[in-house]
Amino acid sequence: MRVSLEVSLISMGSTANNITTEENTTRAPGEEHDDSLDDGSDGEAWVFYRERKEWADITPVPQDDGPHAVVKIAYTDPFTDVYDYLRAVVVKGELSERALYLTEDAINMNAANYTVWQYRRKILRHLGSDLEQELNFCREMIEMNPKNYQVWHHRRVIVEWLGDGSKELKLTEIIFSQDAKNYHAWEHRQWALKTFKLYDRELDYVDLLLEEDVRNNSAWNQRHFTISQTTGFTKEVIQREVEYTKAAIAKVVDNESPWSYLRGVVQHCEGSLASVGDLWEWCQKMHDEGQCSPHLLTFMLDLMEDRMERQPDLRPTLLKRCLEICESLATKYDRIRREYWRYIERNLSHRFGA
Amino acid sequence: MAVLYFALSGLDLLDGLSELDKEERQHIINWIYSLQILPGNDRDEQACAGFRGGTTLASCRGESSCDTVSQLDCGHITMTYTALASLIILGDDLSRVERPAVMAHVAALQCPDGSFFSTRGGSENDMRFMYCAAAICYILQDFSAINTTSATKYILNSMSYEGAMGQGTHLEAHGGSSYCAIATLHLLGKLDSSLSRTQRERLVRWLVERQSGGGLQGRPNKPPDTCYAFWIGATLQILGALDYLDTAALRQFVLSTQDPITGGLAKYPNSNPDGLHTYLGISGLSLLRKDNLKPVDPALNISQQALSHLHQLHKNISKNSTVPC
Repeated sequence: MRVSLEVSLISMGSTANNITTEENTTRAPGEEHDDSLDDGSDGEAWVFYRERKEWADITPVPQDDGPHAVVKIAYTDPFTDVYDYLRAVVVKGELSERALYLTEDAINMNAANYTVWQYRRKILRHLGSDLEQELNFCREMIEMNPKNYQVWHHRRVIVEWLGDGSKELKLTEIIFSQDAKNYHAWEHRQWALKTFKLYDRELDYVDLLLEEDVRNNSAWNQRHFTISQTTGFTKEVIQREVEYTKAAIAKVVDNESPWSYLRGVVQHCEGSLASVGDLWEWCQKMHDEGQCSPHLLTFMLDLMEDRMERQPDLRPTLLKRCLEICESLATKYDRIRREYWRYIERNLSHRFGA
Repeated sequence: MAVLYFALSGLDLLDGLSELDKEERQHIINWIYSLQILPGNDRDEQACAGFRGGTTLASCRGESSCDTVSQLDCGHITMTYTALASLIILGDDLSRVERPAVMAHVAALQCPDGSFFSTRGGSENDMRFMYCAAAICYILQDFSAINTTSATKYILNSMSYEGAMGQGTHLEAHGGSSYCAIATLHLLGKLDSSLSRTQRERLVRWLVERQSGGGLQGRPNKPPDTCYAFWIGATLQILGALDYLDTAALRQFVLSTQDPITGGLAKYPNSNPDGLHTYLGISGLSLLRKDNLKPVDPALNISQQALSHLHQLHKNISKNSTVPC
């Protein structure tokens, strides 16, 4: 059976947007499609550019797929109409209001077409357009396509042109209210915080997010970022953060994020891992009370490994303990990673054995 | 172009390329080359070289085109990588690749901090395009265009407190960016010299901890997603630690995302399949060596067979040329 490479991309989701293709990837699985926009079947009927009097002076330029098209896309008629006119004005080098309007239609049909966004920015600059209005347009596009790279990049450029980051925290908070882990939004927020020095209330905001979801790894990362850019990890800050993290762990012990964060915070200490407060006793107490989360056990392994590095005389006792913990992880508490724990047993024995 | 690469490499791993006859293969090769931008000798023009993502603007170059066209009709680093990968998969000898122009395009996209943009027309810069740059340099065997010192610095600066890499400094550690970082270091031949034993151990631990309910997640406390079978799996393979995963459970998860009616693999079970997840799911399964799939090279994400063809091209080039390529 011959395999044809003609691929219908109408069913492709927004994941393809993540690789910044120029193909028509209009919606993600489950995302509602605005039918009124491209085929006129619902709501307002689509008026083809080729039928608009104000565009009568333009001859549309069809797409040239060559004699043997590959990964041929089943474009809708409205899509073809818009992009034929877009090509025509690009060839003309037209940088007008109507071209700007045309880019809006082109973007609505494929928000991942990075060339259209570049053309739009050329027009905006040429016309000296109202950038506050552009920020509004950008916000709408971000809300409709929160995981699209081009909308966030466009936002950053417009904000840079304006030199005003006052709306960026609010924008990202709106996105976080729908998806508190949106990577693009976190990247944008960090950029805005750094560029416009807006750190004042950031730790409070992180607290709020962690109140809502103590498992939000992005919020924990943001905490580390904020502190590193403001006070830094001084002795007092380390102590404060250790207590904060211990409280979060007390809420939900089996949660990877605060354990990672704890490790990250104490790494800023100059002394040994266990020198920060009573970490070893605190772990031991939880273990004695029957707590067997793999994160607790792994942390105890790390504390013991650190101690074995620094105090060779303690190695025989601690190694025995470590191997027992690895065994319990491999056979009982973290069986999915049994091959890894076997490796750790071999590794520790090799490094600290007799 | 990226969609073509998913389709071709996916077919290759499924040992299905023979379904394309010689004529059809040549048509595809010609189509790929038709998307190559052929600038003049002007260095500035060459910065816009490389391969296009598709035919949107392909018909716009001509006598009547203007500055706007040449400013917008630029190569895109991901499309250049996927074009070259697709050509190799199809058995092409890359003789029609405008090497100096492609290398000028890659060089022009590097930022002072070591990372890469995707296209001259303006884009974000992050670890994804770093990987594409490294892959292009490896394929064309020419690393002179990029500053490998600043690239390595960017990668190490992207290692967060979690022990894995984010898209950039201070950003959250992520399976996709960790793959791009480690594959880049591997392709540049700098993996062993760049990571200390402790850093390597912590990274392996982070990667292995991504296994959740059989599948692999991209970040802690996120649901498992098929494509991380490749991003996380390939990173572990490069680090020699793939066997630390429960490979049977991973395989079961990936196969559970198949659509029984249309075929293809999706992000999650019971959701719509798409080209990206289908290809990366297959590529991830290939790493596990449990299904009847051709082995994949984790660093370039093409079959080992395609990689052998590439290595043969490298041998032929160094035998025949008197100047470095």
